[in-house]
Amino acid sequence: MGSLAFFLAIYLYPLTRLLVWSFFSPGFTLEHYAKLFAEPAYMQALRNTAEISVWVTALSLALGYPLAYLMTVVSGRVRTLLIVLVLVPFWTSVLVRTFAWMVILGKRGIINQLLMGWGVIDKPVALIYNMLGVQIGMVHVLLPFMVFPLLNVMTRIDTSLVTAARSLGASPRQAFLRIFLPLSLPGVSAGCVLVFLLAVGFYITPALLGGEGQVTFTTLIELVVRDLLDWNFGASLGVFLLTIVGTLFVLFSTLLGLERLTGDTRA
Amino acid sequence: MIETPRSPARPLLWAYCSLTLAFLCTPILIVVVVSFNASEFIQFPPRAWSLRWYENYFGSRQWVEPTLLSLRIAFVTMVLSTLLGAAAAIGLTRGRFRGRRPLEFFFVSPMVMPTIVLAIGLYLLFARFRLVGQPLALYLAHTVVATPLVIVIVSAALKTTDSAIELAARSLGAGYFRTLWHVTLPAILPSVVSGAAFAFLLSFDEVVLAIFLGGPATTTLPKRMWESVRYEIDPTLTAISTLLVIVPIVILCVVAVVRRSFAGAASTASRPTDGE
Repeated sequence: MGSLAFFLAIYLYPLTRLLVWSFFSPGFTLEHYAKLFAEPAYMQALRNTAEISVWVTALSLALGYPLAYLMTVVSGRVRTLLIVLVLVPFWTSVLVRTFAWMVILGKRGIINQLLMGWGVIDKPVALIYNMLGVQIGMVHVLLPFMVFPLLNVMTRIDTSLVTAARSLGASPRQAFLRIFLPLSLPGVSAGCVLVFLLAVGFYITPALLGGEGQVTFTTLIELVVRDLLDWNFGASLGVFLLTIVGTLFVLFSTLLGLERLTGDTRA
Repeated sequence: MIETPRSPARPLLWAYCSLTLAFLCTPILIVVVVSFNASEFIQFPPRAWSLRWYENYFGSRQWVEPTLLSLRIAFVTMVLSTLLGAAAAIGLTRGRFRGRRPLEFFFVSPMVMPTIVLAIGLYLLFARFRLVGQPLALYLAHTVVATPLVIVIVSAALKTTDSAIELAARSLGAGYFRTLWHVTLPAILPSVVSGAAFAFLLSFDEVVLAIFLGGPATTTLPKRMWESVRYEIDPTLTAISTLLVIVPIVILCVVAVVRRSFAGAASTASRPTDGE
């Protein structure tokens, strides 16, 4: 198993090194972890990450569920078209998409140009470098990760159950709420877990669209490692983040099945 | 059909979803339109059109060189991760050994792992071997994140192909590797091709590992774009973005064509297909 050897050397080994760095300086110490909990600014970064991730997950579900549902009820050809409209942005570089939002929402961006041109506002509105910008950018990137697990589960729902409910006198609404919705819940949980995990570890979009008030855990790691050059503390932050993500990943992939989380629908 | 076509909720559902799709696609379309803008400042809609930002891109070494480097790194990553990923997928799907599930977890975990954590871990490792800033660092790092994708895509194909035909080949006297080459691989070839294509794309667009592990001599296109976008909005970026939007579209088309022609070939040979 050459693949295994490669992964042990280039993947597991560096992570183990990170663990070692986080506990030594040069003797064994817990000071790097203590620093994280002692400094309010670091806890704030953690809270920011949690807040952003919860919002992004909720918004992605609100947009993604109806879209995945529509894909299940339309005919094959229309479904393919809808899937392509999600796949193309999905496979477009995250950097390009984040840059697109900077062009649209920036201070001299398109929305501000248009609004000022129409005389709605006299000076530019701040749409990025704040929470709003980060949320818009992240939902844009992570929404497909909600749609595909949902679609995966929804297309496997036996629609004759819904038809049966209708023929027994249920209104379309009742049939949806009492039959389809409960059967689609595994997709909801898989999509939410996936989006949440990716949001927690996301770096590019918060770094480009966030302002000073939106320092997330990932941008904090960059700051500590690059500007403060404090690799031991950076390592402890990394290990902390990894522990959270790893625990959630193992927990939910055991509960939901690994295939639901990694799903092959995206290809 | 879940609802009757006359259901009053249907137009509302369509309206809501159209807005969602517009949210997904419009930003990309806007960048494409703006890239043909003639003015120094980004305007929408552009008042005058030109190809000057494309000339700027193709005419400047500081953009073309990173592009060539990115293509090279993406190619090497594609080869490495396809070999490692296909091998791992076959082992994980066909193998019957203890610890298969945990191993599967381990192999796909880079997909959800925060890239920045991997980046600083690899930095510490590569710094010891003086590899930071070398192309090799990026070959290896990108292979770690691209291999899981190949594993997932190839495993999915392996699970839908009938392993009985492999058993039949073995019982007719073919050895393990002969069966692998003549029976298993042809059956999963389209998935291997799409795995390879997506591995290429993943590496070509990768930012975080590139900015942490790449030095001045290994500035990939995304790293160069990142440096540019952090300080000012250079309209050349709109032209590059447009070109980068075309890449996944081409790759998705290639994958679709490969899958379709394979399905066609398989059905004319009256072999059972997996319905893909």
